[in-house]
Parts: sequence; structure tokens; C-alpha cells
Amino acid sequence: MIRINPIIRLVNRNLTISINPGFIIWQILFPLIYIFVAGFAYTALIDSVPFGGKNLDYPAFLASGMIGFNIMNSTLISGIIIWNDRRHGMFEQIMSGPFTRTHYILSNIVTIGIIGLFSAALITAVGYPVFFDSVEFNIVTIPLIIFGSVVGAILFGSIASIISVKLRSSEGFNVIINTVFLFCAFASTAFYPVQGAPQPLATIFYLNPLSYLVDIIRAGIFGQVTDFVIIEMLVLVGLAAILFVIATKLLTKLDF
Amino acid sequence: MLCIETKDLRKKYASTVAVDGVDLQIESGQVFGFLGPNGAGKSTVIKLLTTLISPSNGKISVLGIDSAKHPLEIRKKIGVVLQQPSYEPTLSAEKSLEKYGMMWNIDKKIRKKRTEELLSAFGLEEIRKKKMDDLSIGQRRRVQVAREFMHDMDLLFLDEPTVGLDPAARRKLLDFLREQVKNSGLTIFYTTHVLSEAEYLCDNIAIINNGKIMAVDSPSELKNRFGHEKTIKIHISTVSEELKSKLSTIPECQIKLEPEPTVIINSTKSEIVLMNILKILNETDTKINDLSAIPTNLEEIFLKVVGDSN
Repeated sequence: MIRINPIIRLVNRNLTISINPGFIIWQILFPLIYIFVAGFAYTALIDSVPFGGKNLDYPAFLASGMIGFNIMNSTLISGIIIWNDRRHGMFEQIMSGPFTRTHYILSNIVTIGIIGLFSAALITAVGYPVFFDSVEFNIVTIPLIIFGSVVGAILFGSIASIISVKLRSSEGFNVIINTVFLFCAFASTAFYPVQGAPQPLATIFYLNPLSYLVDIIRAGIFGQVTDFVIIEMLVLVGLAAILFVIATKLLTKLDF
Repeated sequence: MLCIETKDLRKKYASTVAVDGVDLQIESGQVFGFLGPNGAGKSTVIKLLTTLISPSNGKISVLGIDSAKHPLEIRKKIGVVLQQPSYEPTLSAEKSLEKYGMMWNIDKKIRKKRTEELLSAFGLEEIRKKKMDDLSIGQRRRVQVAREFMHDMDLLFLDEPTVGLDPAARRKLLDFLREQVKNSGLTIFYTTHVLSEAEYLCDNIAIINNGKIMAVDSPSELKNRFGHEKTIKIHISTVSEELKSKLSTIPECQIKLEPEPTVIINSTKSEIVLMNILKILNETDTKINDLSAIPTNLEEIFLKVVGDSN
């Protein structure tokens, strides 16, 4: 019998219970509406958006922002898995089986990494015709997009995990997670450029990790890797590491 | 060979002592019943033995493995059905079994075969495609127990597995478990509140109360030890003052007026007491409507042991 690593077995299980037709449709339909409806509707108001050394049209700007947005949304899965496992007794059941807490935590990270990458690839494919003109994929930018997707997935997956560990009621979990993710979505550079925004709003944009994720992905897609983007990468990695450690500590302390 | 051995096992939560110096020695290849009232410490002992929680004090050896040193090695060899339900709401009954087998690294072909066998053995064929979220509590419980047989194990912990099951499903499960012990040499650690179940299934029984083991023995030995006292009920037509006065000289009997006048004998020498009471009833011209002797069962022993310890 082939011995499959326990983390891979748990990832297989996580993907089976999380990915369903509804989730995939939501993952495609929701960004599509944003890109093609909001993107083209706002073109009348926003002619072009400066990004690095380029001027992007708004649908291209929005489509690239939607990749980060979709990564964040899809990592909600991490919180939902943990919350459901606790609610439906599966956390205890898994922990009484051939797994350790480390297996459980790492399987969650791998799951959200896969979903994050899948999500990024999906929106890149869907948005490709829109920002086709300005795309600059090369040996530096593609790894940058993959790096941003994985680190971003870990960061937002950790946030979702922390919320799911701390909250037991479904109402509390849904309210908090939706509030946090809604704030992150709209107070970020995913939908609007920071240039021209009122100063308080611009400050809030950069207190929000989604802005860093979106900027990195955008830089990768349009080949505009500046010093600022490198600083953003460091901030994103640092934040993801801190939040991952907190989430892991909380999960390790979960009692039965 | 000893399957489970604990020495001076203790678990303390803040000011509450949930398990208080439990010593157990359980041989392999048997069903070991673990009985106790609510809050007696049964589930805490199971969580300690399955390495879900660590003891405050004491030693645990499961299948010859020290639980403090190698908890994962123990978990690889045991099956656990906890008291609380555990299920994946989005999966069907069939998929639940299949995925659980995958989690235990069971080969795909074997998984498929076992899934079919278990769906049949647990009467789950009709609901195989139904989502777990849509099943009744009893159906979910059946899947939860069946799921544990997807993987190989030497020891199975069952914490009140028949909760929510109808009598037919309960009997089917008990027979299935007996079969497993007989055929594969599996050891089962079984907790229940249904004492007739324990009497039907268990080779040995421990009674726990307030975190302490009160008695450990086979059901028949427990009956011998605690079941000397027999109960005889004599339903009579009326209770006169003369009868009351005469019966008051016999301490082993009591009179109950509701729901109908009854003389109840609780004695280790109930036959002799009965003769004396029949004599008194005859002297007082009291008509006997009915007479019944209640055989000693596990429930009475349980109530006696728990009552005495309280």
C-alpha cells in the first residue's frame, strides 16, 4: 500500500468538502460581474489609471485588482473549514485519528494556497482579454504573481482561521468575517487607484493588507516591479508570518 | 495481553476533579463496558485514553504504548466514536465513508469494498446518496459508527454509540460489534446508559462515579457480589392497622400504598422473610392479588453501587 502523507490526505478531504459547483460558480460569476459590468460602466467616469510607468484603462486596472480580491474571498474557506469542523465535531474526530495538530494546520495552509492559486489563475484567464494589451508576463513577473497569491492566501486564510477559532456562534462568525472582508475589499486599491483619493482614505488603503496583495499582483501582471512593490512584498510576508503564527498558536491551544 | 492499563489516572479542571485515581487493567479481545451516571467522568476517561487530552497525573498505556511518549502511535491503532456527533455536512453517507477511509490511507479498492459492506451492515443503502446534513440523528449516528470500521484497528472506543438509534438498529449494531470481537479479536471500550445493552454485550464492566472506579467485574460476578438482595412484591387488597403493626416488626419489608397497596421485601434472605409475611397476611385475613419476584439485573446493581458511593 502506498503511504500518502497525512497532510495530503487532509488537503484532499478539505478540497472535497469545500469545493462544490456553487463555490466555483460564485468564484467565477462574482468577479466577472465586477470586471465586465462595473469595469466597463465606470470607464465613462475613469478614463485611465496611472500604474507604474503605464496608463491602464479602468477594466484592466479592475480585472487585475479582482485577482487579489478573489484570492482573499476564496481563503474564507479556511475559516469555514475550521469553524465547520468544530461545529460538526470533525476537529475532535480528526485529532483522535492518525493526525497531529501540525498536520491539520499545514493542511489548511496548503488548501488555501491551492485555492488561492486556482482563484488567481481563474481570474487571469477570465480577465486576460480585457488587459491583454498591457500584460507583461515574463520570468520575473509570473513567479511574482504566484508568490503574491500564495502569501496573500496564507495571510487572509490566517485571518479567517483566527476569527473561526475565536467565535463559536454562526451569527457571530458570519457577521465578523463579512465585516472584516468587506472592509478589506472596499478600503483597498482593488477597485480604485490610491492617486487622487482623499488623504485619510489613502492612509486607510495602506493599513489594509489587500492593497499590498493587489499591488504585487498588478505589478506582476503589468511588469511594473518598483522599489515600493518590493517593500510591499516584505510587508506582506511579515504580516502573513505574524498572522500565521497567531492562528497556529490559537489552533494549538484549542481544547476539547 | 493487556490492551489498556492506567495507574492512578487523574484529570483536574480548575477546581473540578473529573477523574480521580483511576486504575484499569483491560485484557484484549473483549468488550469492556464503562458505566456511570451523567458527569461521572466516562467521557473524560475516553478522551484521556484516546490521547485527546493529557492527564494531570498518572500513567496510561494503550496497546502497550505509553500515551505520554507516543500519542500518535496509539491513535494510528485505535478507532474512536465520540459521544458528540461528527460529520461532514456537505458529503453524502456513502462519500463520508469513502473519504474517511481515504483519510486513514486505505487503498481505493478496499475502500470501495468496505463502503458497500458497511452500507449494507448498517442498513444505510437507501440513504447512501443523502447528504449528512439531511439525515436524522439516528441515521447520522449509524454513519458515524460505520465510518470507524473503514479502517483497521486493534481497539475501538465507543462513547454511547446507540444514542438516537431505534431498537432494531440498536440490536443490529450490538450484534455487529459482537461479531467483530469474535472474528477479528478487536477490543471494544464501550460506554452506555442503557444497562441492558451492557449486559447483552460486555464481557467485563466498570462502574465509575465522581471520577472513581466503584466496581470492576464481569456482569455475572457483579450480580453475585451486589445482587444478594432480592426484591419480592406482594400486591394486596387492603392495609389494616393490625397488618401495619405486625409488619413493622420485620425490618426487611416496607408497605407502599400507591398506586396500589404493596408489600415490598428487600432482603438477602427474601425467601424466609416471605414465609413470615405470608403467615402475617394469613393471620390478618389479607387477600393477595399478585406476587412477583424481581430478578437482579445490572440496572439494580448500578443503582446500588452508585447510590452507595453517593
